[in-house]
Amino acid sequence: MSSFFRRHSDRDLVRYLDGELSARKAGKVERHLESCGQCRAELEELKDTLAECARYQDVLDAQSPEAPQPWRDLYRDFSRIDESLANTSLLGRLMRPLVHSGAPRWAFVTGLAALIVLVSLHQLRQAPSVQAASILRKAVAVSESQPRPARHIRVRTSHRQEFTRLAGAQASLIQVAAQQAVAAQFQAANFDWNDPLSARAFEQWRDEQVHKTDEVTTVPNPQVPSSSCTRIRTAAAEGELAQVSITLDAGDYRPLEEMLEFRDREWIELSEISENSTDIAGGTLSRPVESPVRAAEPPSRPAAFAPGSSASISDELQVLSALNSIGADLGDPVEVSLAGGKVLVTGGEGIPPRRQNDIRASVADLPHVEVEFSPSRPATVPAETAVAGGGVASAPASPMQARLEKHLGGHAEFDRFSTQLLDLNEAAMQRVYALHRLSQKISPEDEAQLSSKDLNVLHEISRKHTAVLAEKVSGMERILVPTLSALGGTAGDGTAAGVSPTSGHTTWQPAAEDVYKDARRVEVLVSQMLGMTPGNPPNSALPSELMAALKDLQGNLDECRKFLQVK
Amino acid sequence: MAQLYIETREDVYRYLLTLGVHPPKAQEAVQEVFLRLYTSLKKGEKIESLRGWVFRVAHNYGLKVRARQSTEQKFDPAFEAQLASPAVNAERALLDREKMTRLKHAVEGLSEQQKRVLFLRMEGLRYPQIAATLGISASAVGEFLRRALLRLRKVRDE
Repeated sequence: MSSFFRRHSDRDLVRYLDGELSARKAGKVERHLESCGQCRAELEELKDTLAECARYQDVLDAQSPEAPQPWRDLYRDFSRIDESLANTSLLGRLMRPLVHSGAPRWAFVTGLAALIVLVSLHQLRQAPSVQAASILRKAVAVSESQPRPARHIRVRTSHRQEFTRLAGAQASLIQVAAQQAVAAQFQAANFDWNDPLSARAFEQWRDEQVHKTDEVTTVPNPQVPSSSCTRIRTAAAEGELAQVSITLDAGDYRPLEEMLEFRDREWIELSEISENSTDIAGGTLSRPVESPVRAAEPPSRPAAFAPGSSASISDELQVLSALNSIGADLGDPVEVSLAGGKVLVTGGEGIPPRRQNDIRASVADLPHVEVEFSPSRPATVPAETAVAGGGVASAPASPMQARLEKHLGGHAEFDRFSTQLLDLNEAAMQRVYALHRLSQKISPEDEAQLSSKDLNVLHEISRKHTAVLAEKVSGMERILVPTLSALGGTAGDGTAAGVSPTSGHTTWQPAAEDVYKDARRVEVLVSQMLGMTPGNPPNSALPSELMAALKDLQGNLDECRKFLQVK
Repeated sequence: MAQLYIETREDVYRYLLTLGVHPPKAQEAVQEVFLRLYTSLKKGEKIESLRGWVFRVAHNYGLKVRARQSTEQKFDPAFEAQLASPAVNAERALLDREKMTRLKHAVEGLSEQQKRVLFLRMEGLRYPQIAATLGISASAVGEFLRRALLRLRKVRDE
């Protein structure tokens, strides 16, 4: 070792401490530290000094004056920047050849005249983003200048739920599970749920998007086909929502329809229920609403398999993996089966055309695949869950709910707590179902026959599901366990009604089966606790039962993951 | 972007205070910096570390603002801190306060550049980001920091 590193300087120590040395140098410092007490002491001193600086900074931070004004909402400025960028970029592009070409003066003048014509033409046919922003501004101004009567809107989701809701009034506690889930989706996407079908809500969301593209089109009015509407569709590069389109009456800018398409392929459609309708909840209005993207007729694919060959489990796994890569094994009603020498992919109702195309595309290159979708028709689940008016009649809260609310610090907190919990639970259940389907599809005996490549594919998908599941379960535990303990729950010996964690399994499939059972039990108990299963009031043992169920779930999930570990 | 604004604005604001910018001006500056960031992103500029970028632009902007307010007194957060320090009860707090007061003097005794390196490091910036902010090399950052810490320790042990 060189003498330099036997007596290295403080300078290396500071950089070592901050992790700013190269791995090689850091290694040398480390080795040196092992043998040099003086430098170790030096290092400790440095750490102490830095710690004191951190404390000093905290003191300083705590006592330095707060920002004098409330922080400005910058979104309005963002759209102003968007507009000026759209304009200057065009101007700049047109001016550049003139400025740099050194053309004679007359050319410049002619050019300038042409430019003026072009710019005014441009303003007539503005860039879509500028046009979208200005239409939205007008629509917001109109809606704010008039007293807004509360309106009924219909909400349809990719889960084939449908309900109506009074918008424009302050939302009260949302009791119905369907609404709660939708509200949570809106919240996660930063989209106002109090008045979702409004130019303002759309504008707010749009302003927050940094990378977006807009499209403005004229479409027939869905309520009065003879008149027309303006539709703004904004696709965002980031965030929960992939794109949102809003349809505004071309005359009075009243929002009529809105389609939110989430990045995870779910969608929610909102439509105004027209005022001249006498039947709000009934079926007279459930006319099919035009889907945001017309289903392009999928090109009929020539049979891709050589005669004589037929699909194997290996092909099926490829299909499963392809679907998994676009998340089509979560939530979408898609079934995969091996029949008649082919891998059949069957999609149930309620898959939007755009999603259908994605699914087709994902498996298009694989052999022996056939894709079929049930003819899409609008879901017409009777609006039994219809909630009219801002004043939702709260069901009498159970004593459990009352205690929960008290513990959490009020109604609003309870609302937040349950939304968060239901969110996590839903995400967890998606994985549970996907994992369960896989475990049923491929038995341990099947698995023994697989090639190592196929085995990898299978385990990779399962690992992905279990990893996300583990994350969601931990999330639920983090929220639930402190609360349940406060309600008198103990995880101790309670395996009251559940599947006790048996560790006699030798493969992952039965472990996945247990995970499935445990997760279902957790789900039932959670919905009982939140008072979402009417006529089934939770008993006092619920906190302990739920804690035990969570523990079982965690145990079986761990076991399942062990089997799936990369060897 | 929205997230970054919410998470970072207070940090940048306080950093500008340490540069001696008065609170209202500092807040304005922070907002202006984020608008610039938005514009740059929209123009397709590739930015590696957003946090680093924000501090760098805020730093330069802050110095300009401070130069313009030069006729007024420089804002001194540490001075205000001492005034605002609440009377905490126990003896230990007293000792602690003494220690902090000594440290405050020590920090005041640092060179301008040492102070900046120290504050930016405390804001969690890495050396290359600090270097870009101050227009010096990453190894110079290490050197300034080393000298700053040595000096603080010396004053503390006096």
